[in-house]
Formats: sequence, structure tokens, C-alpha cells
Amino acid sequence: MQTTICALATGMGGAVAVVRTSGPAVLRILNALTRRQNWEPRKQIFCTIYDGESVLDKALVSYFPNPHSFTGEDVAEFAVHASPYIKGRLLELLCAAGAVPAKRGEFSQRAFLNGKMDLLEAQGLCDLIAAGNKASHRLAMAGLDGALSARVGEMRTKLTELLAQIEVRLDDVDEEMTPLSDEFIRTEINSVLVHIKALANTFSVGRLIKDGLRAAIVGAPNGGKSSLLNALVGFDRAIVADACGTTRDTVEETLEINGQKIILTDTAGIREHALDPAEQEGMRRSARAMQSADIILFVLDASRALTDEERTLWDEIRRTGKRALIVLNKTDLPYQPCGLEQAEQYAVLPVSCKTGSGIDALKKAIVRDTDEAHTADGLMISNLRHYESLLRAQTELESALLRLSANAGGEIYAEHLRGALNHLKDLIGEVTPDDVLGVIFSKFCMGK
Amino acid sequence: MFVCEELYDVIVIGGGHAGSEAALASAKLGAKTLLLTQSLDTIAQMSCNPSIGGIAKGQIVREIDALGGAMGRVTDHAALHYHMLNTGKGPAVHSPRVQCDKKLYQFTFKHVLELQPNLEMMQDEAVKIATTDGRVSGVVTLRNTFYRAKAVVLTTGTFLAGTIHIGTDMFRGGRYNDMPSDGLAKNLREELGLHMLRFKTGTPMRINARGLDYSKFRLQPSDDPLQPISHFTDVNEQKKRKFLSCYITRTTLATDKILRENAHRSAMYSGNIHGLGPRYCPSVEDKIKKFPDVTSHPLFLEPEGFYTEEYYIQGFSTSMPEEVQRALIKSVPGMERATITRPGYAIEYDFSDPMDLYPHLESKLIPSLFMGGQINGTTGYEEAGGQGLMAGINAALKTQGKDPFVLRRDEAYIGVLIDDLVNKGVNEPYRMFTSRAEYRILLRNDNADLRLTPYALRLGMLGEEYQKPFEAYQSLTQKLIENPHADVQDDPDMFPWTLEKARTHADIHNKYAGYYERNKKDAEKLAEADNIKIPEGFDPSSVRGILFETSQKLREIKPQTLGQAGRIPGVTPADIQLLAVHIERFRRMQHAKQAN
Repeated sequence: MQTTICALATGMGGAVAVVRTSGPAVLRILNALTRRQNWEPRKQIFCTIYDGESVLDKALVSYFPNPHSFTGEDVAEFAVHASPYIKGRLLELLCAAGAVPAKRGEFSQRAFLNGKMDLLEAQGLCDLIAAGNKASHRLAMAGLDGALSARVGEMRTKLTELLAQIEVRLDDVDEEMTPLSDEFIRTEINSVLVHIKALANTFSVGRLIKDGLRAAIVGAPNGGKSSLLNALVGFDRAIVADACGTTRDTVEETLEINGQKIILTDTAGIREHALDPAEQEGMRRSARAMQSADIILFVLDASRALTDEERTLWDEIRRTGKRALIVLNKTDLPYQPCGLEQAEQYAVLPVSCKTGSGIDALKKAIVRDTDEAHTADGLMISNLRHYESLLRAQTELESALLRLSANAGGEIYAEHLRGALNHLKDLIGEVTPDDVLGVIFSKFCMGK
Repeated sequence: MFVCEELYDVIVIGGGHAGSEAALASAKLGAKTLLLTQSLDTIAQMSCNPSIGGIAKGQIVREIDALGGAMGRVTDHAALHYHMLNTGKGPAVHSPRVQCDKKLYQFTFKHVLELQPNLEMMQDEAVKIATTDGRVSGVVTLRNTFYRAKAVVLTTGTFLAGTIHIGTDMFRGGRYNDMPSDGLAKNLREELGLHMLRFKTGTPMRINARGLDYSKFRLQPSDDPLQPISHFTDVNEQKKRKFLSCYITRTTLATDKILRENAHRSAMYSGNIHGLGPRYCPSVEDKIKKFPDVTSHPLFLEPEGFYTEEYYIQGFSTSMPEEVQRALIKSVPGMERATITRPGYAIEYDFSDPMDLYPHLESKLIPSLFMGGQINGTTGYEEAGGQGLMAGINAALKTQGKDPFVLRRDEAYIGVLIDDLVNKGVNEPYRMFTSRAEYRILLRNDNADLRLTPYALRLGMLGEEYQKPFEAYQSLTQKLIENPHADVQDDPDMFPWTLEKARTHADIHNKYAGYYERNKKDAEKLAEADNIKIPEGFDPSSVRGILFETSQKLREIKPQTLGQAGRIPGVTPADIQLLAVHIERFRRMQHAKQAN
């Protein structure tokens, strides 16, 4: 049974992106995503693509039933708006419905194998696959930074050792090994699950595309936080007043920068000794907003010197270890050096919410990381593949935990652990039965 | 030289567990078969432990049995103790193990072979495999007789250039008291140019039970109720027989001290042994060295037969000098007054690199030469028997001009075993573990017949008389899987299959239902890639763009299907993609050539 594959068919740039999918499940997926049926073959149809209960995009969709398609299989093409969010989310929805991200050259490969391409064209196809072979052969780990690759290594070790602990008991001839406690298995699986979830979150195309990037605006009262929010969003949403501490509730606003969904949170001004109890409550909310943020925008008034409160707040921001931008507001007013201009790795962005100067540069800086993830086309697919692998591995481990509660037995937990290892192959490298036996023989004295 | 006038289809060299199954299978398939062995009195001899089966191995015996081999039936005939292992765990890992009367086992097997039509046995030692134009043409023996053959199956066990070690003493032997096959070893290495490598294995001492203090042992009685290991044994008849017990004891700190003080005297550390030994079946001196924190190791006392006081001591494999072995025995509770009857020893022997074999166990270097058992780098009676059976079947099929018979990884442990051997090679004697099988949930003790008996019936390994009973059993199990409460009756015409077997199978199948489907789905994907044959004349290593290592491995292993290529370690999915395109390209070009 052939799988159904999906991938972005167009490069970067342009206003329209084409996502293509091919394989036996195409019609089912197409019907599910568009909530319509009866497709006239090879006709572009304008329709809505649904993401659960909400609308993802309005798109031109074409259906090519086999064998009259590019690959010779059932094929569907979605021409959507070329926003990274829409493209990425559509691929995610296709995968959730049962498709898998295509390997490099896989569409053409299928076309050739189904007799849709001649020998001459096949050579080009081979060159394409070969180019990817060298690149992908480098361990995926090599592409990850130090902290990540350590985490990946730990996942591999933990899963392999847990599997070895279970397997050694299944193959225990003397039947004298003490059984593993459920608690031990649960703890081990959970410790890997934590890593898997953390790792999934490092892939911006995953979480950031789906849930949006959370940006918290923090700063001293009356530093211009609400004005910044308005300048970024483009209309008056928060109440702006001169009396400090006007923003009592955290205000959330969603906007899109280069197709990336951003959730802005405007928080109450943080002041050490809040006299007004309502303001104290607001400050607690700011601390919370900072906690859940992916990026912190620290707003300072460029027209006055840094206060002690602001210094304390700055220390707190640094303690979170999160990405932060220093936004120097009110640069339209006479300038006071604040002392944070050379703030190590943190970027300082001068803006004027009043005149709008510097706002575009700030927007670019906010989405910098996620943009990088999208711009290299190959990276996006490869990330999506990794992200999918992590989600599938997560499902396996969660199933193992469920089965553990049902006391299903070692051979069942082993099935799920092997499943998880199999899904993680691209990330952590292959774990073969010989690897598992290697752990067993090095740790346990077994055999006659 | 006497040239035997017969032209045999298949000659099997070696009458151990692999050779006996090979000869039997070949003859059953209608091939005129000759079994050559140094001694007819050691046919199917249990050179090491007196037991058949065990974890994963028990499943292999069930598979051999379901395929029409003899190991299971002979085991039940010679059984002196039954024990189903892993009953505390899931049914996918339940494994039967049966202690046998060693003498009864080997003579029963010999008798089975003697009764088999198309099969001749001759006591003579093969020293040379004759070839004509690089193909096998016959066998020359020590008596200087030439036996002509269309195909040869090599099942030499530990006999090729065998050397025995006890302490620092070394002497030649294929097994204690048996001569090694030096002539044949030289022929394979030097004249046929096979890639010969060397392994080491060992066996523990045997003791006389007279003087044992059984009160210091833990008793392991034979299972009651018992489960025969063969599908064809009548459980009600089997129950009427008498069985013996086994005993369990442990090594002590005194044992530990003796081993430590004499470590340098073991053949293992004498520098005399160069062959690699198995990690899972270490000598007791190895256990002490590698696991210094474990101060007590279990020992399992197995009777060697009904009419002997000799016991085999599993867990005490050693190549210490004799006097150390005597001291070791005395250090174990209950064995203080026991005496050694045969010392333990280590043995080194030649084997041939299994990566030189096709999945149907024919040599890639010498057409019509087949190999099975320890010569392929494995260990264990069961692993040997499974390969012997497959080599015998395929040798016969080859002489009949028929397609080879290969089992997939999702069909049998035997499939996993051979696939691992030919694609990955070995760096220690290969033993089966359930963890080697990615489709463990499919490869169970209770469904070996449902998996494999259809093949046995098709090939002629099982007689027609089993066709109807088996079909009745198949439909009964299906009915019970769909509805466990279906109104069904036992049918005496279904024997050896019964309603009870069907119920057991259906229960287990339903317990694993979701996992069964999941394994099956994965296996189907595998089968798809295995159905894409790499065509004759296509050189996969010439494909531009595949990785250098892949190209080297493909040249060495010469996979026959795209699936097999994918299972070679280090081969990437992109390599397989490229191969798929190039195979199709090659096929079309051949097609165009033919059209011209």
C-alpha cells in the first residue's frame, strides 16, 4: 500500500504557493479539508480550506484522478496565499489527515515509476535525489546546536536503555530477574516525553506556525507600552492615558508579520511598590505573560534615564533566558542615553510610536528567527518531517503510558518504544536490535 | 578412486541438527539425497545441552515442525521434562523448552532418516567438494570415493579445523572424542576460496549425580499439564509418560574466589584462543570478569537421559584446567561430593562468512553449494535445524529448476535469522532472541502452524493427509477470532488439530488485535519492497549518486530485491529511491532492446 505524500511545490516568494499531494488517500483528505465532494477532474475550483472549526484560507483547488496526473496517482493541488503560516499549517493539516511529507524527488520518482516520465527526464530526477542524499546523510544531529544535540543524545540513550531493560526480561532464560516496576517505566518514559515536547517546541514551523509567536510587551508605567501595541497592530486597542498605570488588564492582540502569526500581550507597568491594589494584580499578570512569552519587548522611554525599577525589571527579563528586544520609545523627543545601549546580545531598536519611525524594523526583528526557518525551503520540509516524527513518537510513548496503566505487559511496551525509536530515526539515528542487545550484554549477565 | 555410479541430486555433508533436517527436507521434496557423515552413531547428537527450545528458540522449533521438519516430533519422542518459559509474561514470548534423553533423541532422529524414501546415508568423511566450471559436481571422501551430485549442502557444525581447549592444553577435535574435518576446511579455504572466519564456543562439565545433595537444590518439576512442542504429537498420549525433574542451584563466594585466583589459567585468557565467542553464553570465568559485582550465578542441572546419572550443568561453561573444574564443582551447595565425568571445554572452529550467501542459503561464490547451521556463524540446535531445513528445501528446489523458497521477517523467526545473517553478517556466534524480530507479535508459538503449514503443504514437506484437517482448523480459528462464543464442535477428523488449540490461538490473537494489525501493515510495506526484484544483469553498485559505502555494500552483498537492499545497515532511503528509479530505467531499456 502506497503512502500519500505532500509537499510545497513552489519556491519562496510570489503571492501564491502551491501545495501538492499524491497517493491513494488524496480524495478522502481533499473532501475532509474542504468539506465538499464531487470534484470535476482537472478544474480549478475556488473553495474554503478548513482548519478544524476555523477557516485557514480560500484557495484554488484542483483534483487530478489517476492515471491522468503528474505522478499517475490521485493528485490534488492547493493554490493558497503564500503566507508561511498558511503554507505550513496546510502541510500540517495534510499530515494530520494521514499524508506524510514527501522525500526529495519523490513526486517525480512516482511519476517515473508509473510511466509518466521518459528515461531522459529520469536522469534529472536521479541527480535531484542524489543531491539530497549527501546532504541528508549528514546526521541530523550535526545540524542541531550543542544543547539540542545533547538532548537528542539523551533521548536515544534513555529509550534504548529502557527498551533493553524490558527486552532483557522478555529474553531472560533463568527467569530470575526482578520485574521492572510500573513506576520506573513511567518515570523513564515521562523523562523522554519532556524532551520530545521541548524539542518539538524548538521547531518554529511547528508550534509557532500553529499557535503563533507570543510577544510580551513589558516596561515601566507610562513608558509607552500601549502605544507600542497600537503602533504594531495599527489601531487603538488599548486605553492610552497619561496617568501612569492605565493598563490594568493584560491586553492581547493578534497580528501577522510576513505571514507569521504574532500574539502581542500588553501588560501592566511593573512597579515595585504599587499603591493601587488593582495595579498589583496587573503586575502579577505581567509576570505571567513574561513566563509564557516566546519573546519579550522591553519598552523604555528614550527621553529619560533608566529608573531603579527598570533596572530590576531588566534583570528579571534576563533571568528568564528568553529572547528579548529593547525598544527605545519616544525617540521623537530629546534623547537621554539609558545605559542599556550595549546590552550584550540584546538588540536595541529605537522607535517612535507617535511618528511610526522604526516600527517596521521592530516588526522584522520580532519575526527574525521564524523567518529564517521559512526562507530556506528545504529546511521547512525537513523541519516539518522532524516535527511530525516527534509528534508521532510522542503518541507512541503516550500509548505506552496508557497501556502501562492497563498492565498490558513488557512485549506491548516494547512495541511502543520501538515505534517511538522508529519515528525518531531521522533525529537520533537508527537504534537496531544489535544496539539493544549490546546494552543488554554490557549491563546484564545472562545466558547459560 | 571409486566413482559411485549414482548421480545424487543433493549431497548433505554433516549429520548434525542442520544436516539431518537438510537431508530429510531434500528427500521429502523428491530429490535423490545422500547424507555423508563421519559417524552414523552421532546423527543429530546433542553435543552441548540436553534441551531443545528456549526463549525464541522454542518458536523456531515450532516453525521447523510446522514446515514438516523433524526436530519437534523427535523432541517429543525423547522428552524427559517439559517447561514452558515466560508464562508470567505475554503469550507472544511464551517459549517451550524440552529436556531430552540425549541418546534417545539421536537414535530416534537416525531412525526417522532411515525410514525416509529418497534418502541414503553413508558413513564417510567428505574432504573435497568437486567443481566443474565453478559449479558443484560432487564430493570426494576420505576413503577416496567420488559421489556425484547436482547440489551440495554443507552443515559442518564445529568440525572445520576444530581445536579444543582445556586450560592451556590444546588438541584437535570437532567435538570431544571426534576428529576435526581438516581436509574439508583446507579445501573450502584454499581451493574454493570461501571467506573462512573463526569462532569459539564452549560447553560445561558433566557430573555423576551419585552423591548429590538434592535438599540443597530448588526443584523444577516437569510442567503438568504439559504442552508437546510438536503440532503433531497427541497430548493425551504424551501425558501418560513419565518425566524427570531438573534442579536449580547457585555458585557461591567460594566459586568466585576459585575463578578469580585461577583466571590466568583459563584457555579464554591463555592467548591461545583467537576466535570470537558469544556474549550471551559466556563461560563462568567470563561472567566473573565482566560482572565482578554479581557474586552468585544460577546453575541449572539437567539430566542427560533416563538411563544415566550424568547431569549437564547449565551456567558452568568453562575452559579452566581439569583440577580447577573439580574445585569449582565442590564449591557449589549440594554438589560437594559429586564427581566430574567429562570436563567442560572451549572449541574453536572455522565458519564461512554468511554475507556470501543468498537469502535461499546458496553460495554466491560457488553455484549449487548450500550452507546451513554453525558454518554460517550461528549457534544452537534450533538455529541450525531451521537453516538446515531451508538449505535442504532450496537445494532440492534448485535441482528441480524451481524458484527458491525464502521466508520473510514477518513470517518466521527462521526468516529473521537468515535475513540477518546474509545482510548483516556476524561478529559473534548468532543466537536468536525475540528482540531481533520486529514483528514479534506476529511470530508466536501458538500460530507457527497457521503461518507456515500452508507452505509445507504446497512444497510437499507435509503429506496430503494433512490438507483437510489443516483447512478445517484454519476456518475454525477464523470463526473463533470473529466470534469467541461461536457455537463450534470439536472434530476428531481434524487431528492433530483440536478445538482447544483453536480457542487458545483465537484468544491470543484477540488479545493482540490492534498490535497484530499494526505489525501486519508494516509487514505489507516490507513485502512490497521485497516484491521488487533487482533484475539479472543490473549492477546496483553502478548507480550514480548513491553513497560510497552503500555502493561497496551492494557490491558485497548483491541483494536480490529492493527490500533486501533496504535492510542492509547504512543504506539510506534516498539510496533506495535511486535504486527504484534505476531498476525501472534498466527494465525499460531491456524492454526496448528486446523490441528491437
